[in-house]
Amino acid sequence: MNLHYLMNELYYQKRRTVTAIIGLSIGIALLIILNSLSMAYRQAAQVPLKEIGADITVQRPGDVPKDLTGAVFPCSAVTISDEELKKIQPLPGVRGIGKAILLWVFDPNRAWIVLGIEQQNPVGPSILRHSVTEGRFLEEGKSEALVEVAYARQFNLKIGDSITIANTTFPVVGLVDASRAAKIAVANVYLPLAEAQKLAASSSQLQSVSTFGPNDVNLLFIKADQEKITGLASTLKDLLGKKATIGTPDSFLKLLGSLFALSDKFNLAASIIAIFIAVLIAFKTMAGNIAERAREIGVLKAVGWTNRNVVTQLLVEAIVQCFIAGILGLVIAAIVAFALSFMKVNIPIPWDMSPTPHFLPGGGDQIFKTLRLPVHIPWSLAAFAILLSLLIGGLTGGLLARNISKIKPSEVLRHE
Amino acid sequence: MNNGTILSGNNLSKKYGDLEVVKHVTISINAGEFVCLVGKSGCGKTTLLSLLSGLERPTTGEIKLDGTDITSATEDQLALFRRENVGFIFQSFNLIPTLNAWENVALPLFPIKMSGDERHRRATELLEKMELGHRMDHLPAALSGGEKQRVAIARALVNNPKVLFADEPTGNLDSSTGDAIMEIMTKLHTEKGVAILMVTHEVELAKTSQRLIRMHDGEVVA
Repeated sequence: MNLHYLMNELYYQKRRTVTAIIGLSIGIALLIILNSLSMAYRQAAQVPLKEIGADITVQRPGDVPKDLTGAVFPCSAVTISDEELKKIQPLPGVRGIGKAILLWVFDPNRAWIVLGIEQQNPVGPSILRHSVTEGRFLEEGKSEALVEVAYARQFNLKIGDSITIANTTFPVVGLVDASRAAKIAVANVYLPLAEAQKLAASSSQLQSVSTFGPNDVNLLFIKADQEKITGLASTLKDLLGKKATIGTPDSFLKLLGSLFALSDKFNLAASIIAIFIAVLIAFKTMAGNIAERAREIGVLKAVGWTNRNVVTQLLVEAIVQCFIAGILGLVIAAIVAFALSFMKVNIPIPWDMSPTPHFLPGGGDQIFKTLRLPVHIPWSLAAFAILLSLLIGGLTGGLLARNISKIKPSEVLRHE
Repeated sequence: MNNGTILSGNNLSKKYGDLEVVKHVTISINAGEFVCLVGKSGCGKTTLLSLLSGLERPTTGEIKLDGTDITSATEDQLALFRRENVGFIFQSFNLIPTLNAWENVALPLFPIKMSGDERHRRATELLEKMELGHRMDHLPAALSGGEKQRVAIARALVNNPKVLFADEPTGNLDSSTGDAIMEIMTKLHTEKGVAILMVTHEVELAKTSQRLIRMHDGEVVA
């Protein structure tokens, strides 16, 4: 194989070279972009849960008392018993569980959305400790409250004030900006879990529709092994009943509704079509190129090149072209991915996951988590694309070179 | 075959379907001999040259080059044999358009394990002999017809062949350039002692050779 001959051939036959390279590079770029977009949507779909330090959320829908007074459960989250919790903890794939209680509290002068949280558990809403804008986060063993900053502004609440919720008074120790944190289980007031459990257990309205024990909860945040999330979600449904609401990255992906996000099969089919078209273009161009060079190949054989010499020369030429196409495809994909990474995606948060009474201001509004689409090209995908380019070059080049090397020099060199 | 014979074809025939293009031709060329094969277009001259040079296989008959029977050699064996023993000069030059003059001359040496410097030295030497030292880095498109044919002659000589096959080497050139090429061929024969088998339909040109073989309708007539 003569490298100089190869480079000259690619350089001086620009039209042929550029056509083959661009054809294949567009296919490779499409393959990379489609897969990167799919991964970006998947990653985006994980954000709402990741922001609350979980991979799965668990709720059980139920009834709301006829009389909305005192502490009640929203219809989307009723009791998950301590016994059920004990069955969930040892399930394979569960790495940690965060417990919480979401309450609607209707006092004579004010309605509160209250979230009881475990202050020290890294799984679940304690992640809010990073969103405290004033004062401090809840401390273990203390009966105190954090107030959402917008709510505090609306009702002129300050640190040091006391608030009374369902006849229990709590000092306000901090203000938290929930808009900077997760959009799931957003509340006006955050209490220690034990205090919220006491409020729930002592509410006759609540107990009338959903029996609640002192250690029960109504929201679970589960940290799980990534590859076991789907199986775990199904097991949780079996355990808590088919009506249980299990929030997973896949359920958010479905809400996104994008073609790229919806189906792995679509992505695979689109990738195969892109590559197939690219291979056809590359094959057709290279076949035309090699056919045009029949006379040249006849000369090579006449002056003593063996079939193997000819095949090697043409094969390496095809591989180099396809390698350049792979690199160009990668560059095109990187530019497109960079441009796409400025695209914003709105992930709808189901009302069930952050329930607000419809009759309160903004209660029926759809909540979205808005973020920039995290499009990037993983090394593994880039390496796969380059290897695929080399494979295409090897197969098409090898096939074409083998065929053309069989020509007889006398047939193509006859001048008459 | 006597000791002086470098190339011989015995009872050679070539058929394409029902059409017999070469008919029972027996021919021999001595080492260092300059032989011209003449005849009208379509009489089978080029086919006979292709048979004798190993570019094509005869339907019947036997070919010996420097004592070796090449009739039943494989394609690759024939290629290696051509690389080591023969050189070709074609009417339409058949230079590789993407290689410059010295690279075209070195083309038969590319598959051989040899340093780049050695390849360059051999090609340069031959191009200088062809008075093309100043055109070494030029692509064929930048060369005149005569220059292209001189590059082709240099390429044919780069492997020190025992026999040079020339198929209408002046056919695409004007008369004065053609004369210059014939002068080079004659000089080559005289100085290097290379056996030459040249196909031409111009009898005047053929007169420069030592021996003239006439063909008619696939047969050697004189």
